[in-house]
Amino acid sequence: MAEPISRRSFLKAAILAPLIPSLLAACKRADDQKVVNFFNWSNYIGKDTLPEFTKRTGVEVRYDLFADEDEMFTKLRAGARGYDLIVVGDYHIPRFRSLNLIEPIPAESLKNLGNLSPRFRRPGYDPEETTVPYLWGTTGIAYNKRKIKKAPTSWWDLWDPQYKDRVSMLDNVRDCISVAMQLLKIPQTTRDPEDFKKIRELLVKQKPLVKQYSSASYLNSLVAGEIDLAMTWSGDLFQTARENPDLDYVIPKEGTYMWVDCLAMMRGARHRADTLRLIDYLLEPSVAAGIANSVRYATPNQAAQPEVDLVLRKDPRVYPTPALMKQLQLHHVLDSEQSELWSQTWADVKVA
Amino acid sequence: MRKGRGFAVYCAGLFSFLYLPLAVMFVFSFNDARRNVVWRGFTLKWYKSLFQNAEMMDAMLTSLELALAAAAIAAVIGMLASYAMVKHKAFRGRGAYDSLLNVPLMMPEVALGVGILTFLVRAGYELDFTALAFSHALICLPYTVAAVRARLISLQESSLEDAAMDLGATEWQAFVKVTLPLAMPAIISGALLSFTVSFQDFVTSFFVAGIGIVTMPIKIYSMIKFGVTPEINALSVCLLLATFLLIGLNAAFAVRPDEASRH
Amino acid sequence: MNRALSWLLSGRRPLASHLLLAPASLWLICFLVIPAAGLIVTSFAKNGPYGVVIWEFGFQNYARAFDPKYLPVLFRTLGFAGATTALCLILGYPLAYFLTFYAGRWRNALLVGLMVPFWSSCLVAYYSWMIVLGKEGLINATLMRLGVLSEPIGFLYTPFAILLGLVYFYLPFTVLPLYASLDKVPRSVIEAAYDLGAGRWTAFWKVTLPLSLPGVVAGCVLTFIPCLGDFLTVEILGGPRYYLLGNLISNQFMMAQDWPFGSALTALLLAGLVGGLWLYQRWEKA
Repeated sequence: MAEPISRRSFLKAAILAPLIPSLLAACKRADDQKVVNFFNWSNYIGKDTLPEFTKRTGVEVRYDLFADEDEMFTKLRAGARGYDLIVVGDYHIPRFRSLNLIEPIPAESLKNLGNLSPRFRRPGYDPEETTVPYLWGTTGIAYNKRKIKKAPTSWWDLWDPQYKDRVSMLDNVRDCISVAMQLLKIPQTTRDPEDFKKIRELLVKQKPLVKQYSSASYLNSLVAGEIDLAMTWSGDLFQTARENPDLDYVIPKEGTYMWVDCLAMMRGARHRADTLRLIDYLLEPSVAAGIANSVRYATPNQAAQPEVDLVLRKDPRVYPTPALMKQLQLHHVLDSEQSELWSQTWADVKVA
Repeated sequence: MRKGRGFAVYCAGLFSFLYLPLAVMFVFSFNDARRNVVWRGFTLKWYKSLFQNAEMMDAMLTSLELALAAAAIAAVIGMLASYAMVKHKAFRGRGAYDSLLNVPLMMPEVALGVGILTFLVRAGYELDFTALAFSHALICLPYTVAAVRARLISLQESSLEDAAMDLGATEWQAFVKVTLPLAMPAIISGALLSFTVSFQDFVTSFFVAGIGIVTMPIKIYSMIKFGVTPEINALSVCLLLATFLLIGLNAAFAVRPDEASRH
Repeated sequence: MNRALSWLLSGRRPLASHLLLAPASLWLICFLVIPAAGLIVTSFAKNGPYGVVIWEFGFQNYARAFDPKYLPVLFRTLGFAGATTALCLILGYPLAYFLTFYAGRWRNALLVGLMVPFWSSCLVAYYSWMIVLGKEGLINATLMRLGVLSEPIGFLYTPFAILLGLVYFYLPFTVLPLYASLDKVPRSVIEAAYDLGAGRWTAFWKVTLPLSLPGVVAGCVLTFIPCLGDFLTVEILGGPRYYLLGNLISNQFMMAQDWPFGSALTALLLAGLVGGLWLYQRWEKA
């Protein structure tokens, strides 16, 4: 009678088997006390930044990446209990605040907040300082010097028919619509549907020239020669240019926007104390300088300036001259109605 | 019947088309160059760095666990379902089950993915490993059902179970001693097929995976989006090898001599 | 215990059948039926600020779906799906024919070989195609080396690349049902046709092909319907000009934060699925 019993237990085992990996996985992901869950853009931190933090404090950092802030927003909204610290663009902060996704970072617990340059304290997009600036940069035009003899000087160059099929634009509502607004001299505060119609038409007019809308893979395409002209974020281009000196960056003559990416603490963060330690760590001068040198974006940390690579400090494309700085503006903080108009216009452009 | 030489040539051509990119991938995984197409020398360094890449290994492990769970669940459920569909006499609603079981196969995965996402979010469930494993099990279900069903139908023809019962066994004993062992190759085959389906699934995982769950295909997708390193070639080759391994397992455990003689 | 299990397995009562099918039903209901229902319900809701769903019901999302500005997307999708299905059929039928009638011992090995590219993850395959098709990719590099080309051809981000990717992925979906159906064609009937004096082509056209029609329909349905929802191919190999329904849907959920509208589009896609299923069932019974 041994046979039937073993068959029966086999069946039982077969039914229980799937639960085992689940249990194992659950244990693995069980709430570790000494960990911070950090969600950030790809290529946006120094190679040794987090390992150094762990070495110093014993706190592990679980580091996850995204390349698309809208995708990131969706995932967070869809029920992401899990992340403690995220990096959010300045113009998105209102959205996160109104949906109650982030918690104010208590300024008293940060020793190094004073290291920031005064320009970044109590900014327009976040007067109550619920977030901490991390890195800032500009949006401009990247081009391949070998393929394009005459350097681009204006945003209109991205609409130039001679570059048909060699252009790429960022897959980002904010960047693309603000460029169109700049070219059409429409202020960002507008609510007029007619204005948005013109913006849409301008962007649709550009579509036959655009080979891809991409926020990250266009860098590969630039290097591979699939495209020669791209709308880009400053630091990303500089990182790529490190190994590909053919690539250059230009801030168009119409001027451009600067944006600030900020550290924000998620509501319901399970590791608040350690998260605050991490934020404080990232505000240290040498750490901030290390990050800035590695990712080639500009650091808002004034105390870090002496340790930033001289080459970068002197490069007006990374740290613009005071004259140019005056021309750079921050994005206007949109309310939900305007936000909707922007999203809708962008969606229409993509569908056209 | 003619030898069909023309056909054979055509098929060779078609297969070359199918395998060309994989062959390219294989060759360039040994290429000592950061960017792909120029051959600069033989190296194994991409494989080395692949195995040292903790995120990659993590994603691989996650996919493996998912696939195991999904395949096991789908195999058990599928077996019970096919048994009822094949062995039991017709009952009301059988046709409906039949159609419904085919739906995941035909459904555009994007619809399934967003559907499950909305459902889980509305219902307040966390998008964790279990949710994803269960979703995968759904996708794998038609495969296990089909595999076991075919086998049960052919077993039906040989009426072995009936013979056992004539000799005095209860349905349960007949099932355990006769049907189950005979159907096992098909169950394993279905499970292996489910394993592969789950392992390489991208679309459903893309929508349903919560934060922190990174499967192999999702990792590759983000690599293609963020910035490709040649490690991706090495990774693809490993995946291919894993596929061949699974096929080998299937052949070893699941092929029955009588299948070949059916034609 | 033995008795209870035996009763379950015997199936003398419908209840037993339903109980055995219970786990499967549970799965189908939880992960298929309820989500689909949820989608349909959401499709009538309104989209609020920052993507919050407002439960005020109306047909506005469906009206929007039929807005002329979305029609190009729909037609493009139908076009690509149709072209893919047709190409898969044309390319796949000879393969299925070969497997059935000429492959002999190699049949199983070839079937498996057909599935391997499909199993090793479509992302891997698409990425490999990027290497092959890119401006500095294998084809261009070789042709330029040989002096055939002076300027690389831009294969990527064109309809050609998209079709290539789609056919590559969906070919097994077409070939397998075709093969299954061709396999069932009784050789005796074909032999009879020859005996009656039919040539090879006539025998095929008048006997084999009609008898394999269920497989043709099954293959077409299994290719066309999932292809309608495909978004990955365009994302990786295509470009912004070839936005398909799958991309549109995926965007509503990922970027545009408009779940009600996305649900409406998905519901329409599901309607297509139901139609396809109905067709499939009809032909399967034939």
